[in-house]
Amino acid sequence: MGLRAYIAKRLVNSFVLIILIICLNFAIFKLMPGDPTAFLMQAWSKEPPEVRREQEQLIKSLWGLDQPFHIQLIKYIRNLLAWDFGVSIINKEPISHALGWRLPYTIMLIGGSTAVSIIVGVLLGIIVIQRRGGLIDSTAVTTSLILGSLPTFWLGLVFILIFFVNLRWFPIAGGHPIWARDYPVLWSYNVQSSAETLSVNLSLNALEAWRLVGGYLYHLFLPFLTLTIFSVGGWLLLTRATMLETITEDYVVTARAKGLKERTVLFKHALKNASLPIITSAALSFGFMFQGAIITESVYSYPGLGGYIWLAIQFLDYPVLMAIFYVTALCVVIANIIADLLYGVLDPRIKYG
Amino acid sequence: MINMSVIKKKSKLSFTAERFLAFMARLLRNKKSAFGLLIIIFFVFLAFAAPFLTPYTPLGEDPLEPIFPLSSPSLPPTWLRYLPTWLGGNPDLSENMRVVNNPGRPSLDEFKFEWEGKGRVYAYVDENLGYPKAAAFGFSRFSQNGSLAISYNRKAGEQHNITTAKLYIEFDWPYSGPAGRFIGSISMLVNGTTTDGRLDVPIKVKVYLGKIDGKTWTVWPIPTVFGLTNMPIGFKEDPNLRVYDPKTKMILARFPWGIDKPMSGWSDLGGWIISRSSPESRAGHIDSDSNNLVNEYTEFGKNSFPARMVFTGAGKYVYGLELTFLDQAELNKDVETTVYVDDFGLLIYGTSFGLLGTDHQGRDLFSQLVYGTRISLYLGILVSVFSVLIGLIVGLAAGYLGKFVDEILMRIADLLLVLPGLPLLIVLVAVLGAKLENLIILLGLLGWMGFARMVRSQVLSIKERPFVEAAKATGAGRFHIIIHHVMPSVMSLVYISLATSVPGAVTAEAALSWLGFYDPTRMSWGRMLNAIFEANAITNWWWVLAPGVCISLLSASFILVGYALDEVLNPKLRLRR
Repeated sequence: MGLRAYIAKRLVNSFVLIILIICLNFAIFKLMPGDPTAFLMQAWSKEPPEVRREQEQLIKSLWGLDQPFHIQLIKYIRNLLAWDFGVSIINKEPISHALGWRLPYTIMLIGGSTAVSIIVGVLLGIIVIQRRGGLIDSTAVTTSLILGSLPTFWLGLVFILIFFVNLRWFPIAGGHPIWARDYPVLWSYNVQSSAETLSVNLSLNALEAWRLVGGYLYHLFLPFLTLTIFSVGGWLLLTRATMLETITEDYVVTARAKGLKERTVLFKHALKNASLPIITSAALSFGFMFQGAIITESVYSYPGLGGYIWLAIQFLDYPVLMAIFYVTALCVVIANIIADLLYGVLDPRIKYG
Repeated sequence: MINMSVIKKKSKLSFTAERFLAFMARLLRNKKSAFGLLIIIFFVFLAFAAPFLTPYTPLGEDPLEPIFPLSSPSLPPTWLRYLPTWLGGNPDLSENMRVVNNPGRPSLDEFKFEWEGKGRVYAYVDENLGYPKAAAFGFSRFSQNGSLAISYNRKAGEQHNITTAKLYIEFDWPYSGPAGRFIGSISMLVNGTTTDGRLDVPIKVKVYLGKIDGKTWTVWPIPTVFGLTNMPIGFKEDPNLRVYDPKTKMILARFPWGIDKPMSGWSDLGGWIISRSSPESRAGHIDSDSNNLVNEYTEFGKNSFPARMVFTGAGKYVYGLELTFLDQAELNKDVETTVYVDDFGLLIYGTSFGLLGTDHQGRDLFSQLVYGTRISLYLGILVSVFSVLIGLIVGLAAGYLGKFVDEILMRIADLLLVLPGLPLLIVLVAVLGAKLENLIILLGLLGWMGFARMVRSQVLSIKERPFVEAAKATGAGRFHIIIHHVMPSVMSLVYISLATSVPGAVTAEAALSWLGFYDPTRMSWGRMLNAIFEANAITNWWWVLAPGVCISLLSASFILVGYALDEVLNPKLRLRR
């Protein structure tokens, strides 16, 4: 099978998987105890029965609940594929709109910290592998193991205790300073049209722009630090484990024998061949990004997707939960495809199929 | 024959034991795993010894006095008193104190009694009469028969006068700071000779508390300045005492909070919650218009707090009942009034509690921490066993049976791996209810996939080994081969996975509880952290640190043991060094 056929097969598989996920999502909420019509009918509970019956019919036809099961499912699949998730129960905001302005925060926080922790973790792993068997090695491994087993939210709480309660260095709530609301930047609560936003952005002078960026980064710092400390150990361990395999391979011995510099041997020969699992797990960890966001963002009330799902949980806002569930699964599927493709690009030995 | 098989069994057993001991020795020689095992043993000890380590239950009130809370909410631990101020220490912290040891049966051994005036007053223990609702009132431990009777009597022709009797207890308050709050209680029954249904000798009641060489306060009738309700709890009679002219039946005087009728039943005048010492938790309001009742408190202004006003420093304090017998009766009559006193007690709540302070509902955090070990260990171990078992079965089946079974099982595993675990878990827990058992099942069902894949790949390679071929050739069945030939070679994976999947489950439970999905009938470490936000007590660092450190230690210990197992059981790793 060639590359093209392989990609096609993967895409079809993923599409089927997404449909399956949507069905599962549909089923979970359908099987849930509690009747949405009864919930909505509470407002009419004092009316006479004929009015109530009429109203119930109206609600059912409005929400499509009078249609047969399979039609509901098909409509649901169609809506999700068209990125239409309905409105949130809490504030009647369209969910796709909320996802739109919250997404950049999460990408900034989780994406950024994932990237930083991968880079730092891999570099530390290389340092450790050079000194394997020594004190630094065992200390680094033990520290990474312990850091990785810490509960993230607790790490966040401790940081709040130290940096907010005691030192008053960093803020703990929100994604930007309060004054930043005066500047409708690309992502903000009250932005409706991006054209207007853009023009405001362009009219900022350099000083204001830097102040704004600084404000965002200031609010980003603590959650960023929490996530990075939590995940850097995992990358160190992974790098160490995979490089332990390659560093004793014959081609590395050969490279050393050729008299190549140690750095060249490590990066070009050992790391490059060890990079396969690292890169696939990197792709996957970006896919699972929103999942990690829930805990961290809830600690710091960060306005990303994680904070959104936390709010949704507090008020049992099911449409939002369904939407987030779907979006996260979608990300994982896409990350899986990317990881599979990267495999092939990086390692020509792999045969597709 | 039988003998032989027993011997065989024995030798097999001793061989297994020997191997196990050798394995443990190797594990203990590894520093990491020795450390991990030590911590695990410590936590197991905590879990089993919890009832002996703390007298309180994690969710309950004081088991001895269920009506009253164990302590004031969100208090710091007692040892904070010894810390320097820059570390958050406070030398003024006080502790809970029970002033009267046996309020259910007040005796003259515990109380002092004295009287002055021209009448005759004596006190004695009445063995039979007692406040029957003592259990409901709170002092369940002291629900006993008997009460203390204080009796005034005068023979016909004797001179009458106002006579005052005092029943009091003196106690040491060793703390330099004020109490957090105090709760007093008293039940009374008044009886005596009557004229026209009214007591010949009405009484006036006052309960007082104060420093012996300082100021003494009337705490009941509740002074208006304390800002709380004036009506004593459960008092059904008209509390105003009127003194009548016996001839004209005109009211000569009114005394607030006196008793002038014989009582048909016990009245608990007390159980009154008097005060807190911090402004934010103060209840009630101050009605400045009714200050004319008690004037002596006005000097403190409206924003004083009784616990702070009464407890001004270390020293000897007195808590007592003052009965004033207002004898206005005719001289030619034998008169008598007896006051039965029961449940006369005083609970003083300190401004600190226990080893870890209290949560927002006044519950002991230390017992929550100790009992939380049980939940985490129970959940962690069950989830790990459950998920490893599923993974093992699925892995063996998929790997050995192959083909169709393999395809289906691995597709299910793929689907579950792709699903975002935490949101799925949250949704399922929200739907099914946040019971601990539900969580165990869900975590088990969502955590087997990685292990199943590992087992499958191991089985795939073992399947092709000669010894499996040989077993097949001798006619061994599939099941026999899987159990006796394939499974032993994946057992090392099982042990490692058993250890390494505990921390994930423990932290997942903590995270879910922290997000608000906790089992309402249990207090886990995660829920303790959740309560910090409910109580808005992020500054209480002991509360933030303790559960988190426990979660981290437990997780880290299992991870370390798992890692060491990996090193011991996979010698390939060691050779690579």
